Amino acid sequence: MDLILDYFELLLTLILLAVGFFAGRYVEKRHYISIRQREKQFRKILTFSARYPPNMVEPQDSRLVCGTVVISSDYFKQFVAGLRNFIGGRFRSYESLFDRARREAILRMKMDAHKNGFALIINVKFVTTSIGGGTTGQQGMPCFEVCAYGTALRPEKTRFPDKLNPI
Amino acid sequence: MELENREPDETVNYTIEHPLKEFAWLMGGVLGLILVMSVLLGWFAGSVAAWLPFRYEREVADGVAAKLRAAKPTPAQLAAEKELTGLAGRLSAVMDLPADMQVTVHFSDDDTINAFATLGGNIVMFRGLTGRLKDENSVAMVLAHEIAHIKLRHPARALGRGVAVGIMLSVISSNVGRSAAGNVVGNVGTLTLLTYSREQERDADREALAALHRLYGHVGGAQDLFQVLSTASGGESRLQVAALATHPLTTDRIAAVASFAEARGWPLSGDRTPMGSGLAAMPAVPAVPAVQAMPASSTK
Amino acid sequence: MSSMLVSNIEVVPGKRVKSHLGLVQGSTVRAKHAGKDLLAGLKNIVGGELKAYTELMQEAREEATERMIEQARSIGANGVLNVRYATTAVTVGAAEILAYGTAVILE
Repeated sequence: MDLILDYFELLLTLILLAVGFFAGRYVEKRHYISIRQREKQFRKILTFSARYPPNMVEPQDSRLVCGTVVISSDYFKQFVAGLRNFIGGRFRSYESLFDRARREAILRMKMDAHKNGFALIINVKFVTTSIGGGTTGQQGMPCFEVCAYGTALRPEKTRFPDKLNPI
Repeated sequence: MELENREPDETVNYTIEHPLKEFAWLMGGVLGLILVMSVLLGWFAGSVAAWLPFRYEREVADGVAAKLRAAKPTPAQLAAEKELTGLAGRLSAVMDLPADMQVTVHFSDDDTINAFATLGGNIVMFRGLTGRLKDENSVAMVLAHEIAHIKLRHPARALGRGVAVGIMLSVISSNVGRSAAGNVVGNVGTLTLLTYSREQERDADREALAALHRLYGHVGGAQDLFQVLSTASGGESRLQVAALATHPLTTDRIAAVASFAEARGWPLSGDRTPMGSGLAAMPAVPAVPAVQAMPASSTK
Repeated sequence: MSSMLVSNIEVVPGKRVKSHLGLVQGSTVRAKHAGKDLLAGLKNIVGGELKAYTELMQEAREEATERMIEQARSIGANGVLNVRYATTAVTVGAAEILAYGTAVILE
């Protein structure tokens, strides 16, 4: 019993690490499956970062579309990042987090466009903000928002009508 | 112009690798680095502190002696303290203490089974320990052990090492962040402080044995001391992991005393000198000892 | 009241910019909700999306856009072009969302 009390903090850390590792891995795996599936589903909604509509498209209607997601790291990733901060180098544990967030934001932007019957988004921009801060405000909680936005166009005429019709 | 969205390779933006592999590498690297750094830095700072003249230490520890002194000593306490001071004087003489090093002995009328040496040559002996010892030889072993700490500048080293490693750890943990990883970092640092201390304990034991031999012609009483410590701590039944404890296990110390003395041909037993009347007059300790948490700087 | 055309490109297809009316902006500073935050703290062990926060940011962004449109309307514009979003974490758990663009009259 004494031993448990003595090493309570360490034990708690280990439990949180294990929970964070398994749960975080499960969540990430599921998220990636969902992302891939939806990416296939919305493939026909085209995105470009060009500022002007493609020259073969003569759009008639436009709308600002936006997709946003707030994502947070799990305890394991956070712990590994803490160690990584000391040694330096690539924060591998956070890379997939950002990848997921950005792809999710694009997907939501596409879904926004799709909902309104658009099939082409141009001038896509990203905004990423770290929100941070846990419940107590002491521990820096790695938590950030990614927003993707752009102008969705409804083309009137195009040389590729099959491609730019809403799915 | 063709208008399409091709699918780029999605694995470019993140690394596919088992997360535990990175975790193991980082954990090993960080812990190893901290361990090496705190050992090196601690050793360096400790050496610098030990190299500084004793009078600086005395100045730093000016307030220590005042704090250790009993508020209103009874005549009996004063008598015991006087005897201990006398014994310390005889021991200092045979231990070749440098001229500028002064040892001040404080007697504490307390049940704690402990004795410790701290900054500025101050030694505190608790009644809880002296009352359990049967003769002057064992008391001399305790005193000589504490004087050896002072002679070897262990309190100064500990202070220097503590300050240096403390600064290093706070710098690192501010780097790592107030995260769980930071806590782990802190714990590893403390571990090195303790293991370093164990070596000092061994050195102090050896110095003390030499002093006993020179004063009495034999090292009898040393093992009695460790026997008392061993029973006081419940025969080591408490969860005491050898690698983590500040002091070597007392059973190990008994064996170490025997082998060290035998190697030098010092008799392990001989005529014991009776305890002085002042010390002997101190009230007997309770039958069931109350084992208290030892202060961090204690050197039993 | 005619609807406002909001876009983050500089040219509105099929329409001509009659006059530029200058920069308009809308911003809002939002802090997280205490109850939602507690759950977010727990969620932080497991990781993944913080739905409550996503909603919050979505609302805040809509509010900022709405404010920008209000400004544009107040100066008689019927469109805002070249719209940009900027977000800054103000303190722990609070963020400012800014939407800005050029107010124009389209015909």
